[in-house]
Amino acid sequence: MSVSVLVVDDSPMARKMLIKALPPSWDVTITQASNGIEALAAYRTGTVDVMFLDLTMPEMDGYQVLETLRKEDLNCLVIVVSADIQPGAQQRVRQLGAIAFVKKPVKPADVQSVLKEYGILV
Amino acid sequence: MSAVILTDEQREALQEITNVGMGQAGASIATILNEFVHLSVPKIFILRADEISPSIVSLVGDAEVSAVRQAFHGAFRGEAIVIYRNQSHTDIADLMGYDPDVDTVEEYELILDVTNILVGACLGGVAEQIRADIGFSAPSIMAEHIPAGRLISPDEVGSAWALFVEVNFALEGRSFACHLIALMPEEEILAVGKALDWFMETL
Repeated sequence: MSVSVLVVDDSPMARKMLIKALPPSWDVTITQASNGIEALAAYRTGTVDVMFLDLTMPEMDGYQVLETLRKEDLNCLVIVVSADIQPGAQQRVRQLGAIAFVKKPVKPADVQSVLKEYGILV
Repeated sequence: MSAVILTDEQREALQEITNVGMGQAGASIATILNEFVHLSVPKIFILRADEISPSIVSLVGDAEVSAVRQAFHGAFRGEAIVIYRNQSHTDIADLMGYDPDVDTVEEYELILDVTNILVGACLGGVAEQIRADIGFSAPSIMAEHIPAGRLISPDEVGSAWALFVEVNFALEGRSFACHLIALMPEEEILAVGKALDWFMETL
């Protein structure tokens, strides 16, 4: 069955780069959101399995999305994709419930290894 | 008007590429200062020469600032300016374990070092992504304790239009905040646009 993937980033180019970095063999249905508010709206439809989440965004940033998801009984796997590569940022998002952190610019190999590590991709 | 010089698509790409450069710069100073650096979305503007000073004021407020400039050259030519709110010097000195009554010379050496790291990581990161080679001159003190509105005058800009790239760094729980702006003259904007088109084609 196809996996429902939500790609959240304010930059259309960054979303495109992430989508291109997904393993070609992975059977996915992709939805996109350009800020945290749109991301939560998509999440609340209840069909998101895996969320790729940017941190630095206008309206509502990635940290706020993670906090809200935690309050709402987090029910999808969140992989943070960010240019904010300071160790403190990685620690914080893991504490907030993200399963993994992928550095921008995104490399296909990094996405693949995260998906394999968590058994999302067999 | 500005859309004539850089398309929306090019501007959006530059913003995301700058975001990655900013992240690298933020990580460098987070490590050096051992603090969490708060980053915000970078902004890209194309401004008339006389709009630059007001834009700086709206960015940093009307407070007194000090600033360091550092030129870059190679595939693109321009100048990076890092603007420090005044208390920020003392904050850096303190974070780096200097004596509270550190003398001014040492304080300025510190902000020259911090500038060099920020500019090198941020603009170096931008250039690397679009596979452009740029080099940097040594940073120098541009102004000490002057009102933000007097930092740059329109005739200093040297072109009718300039690309204004704005990146902000702030430390959590500290007053330290600095702003990196990169100014590039009109004729360079076209070269940046071409490099961005090439970059987007490779995606």
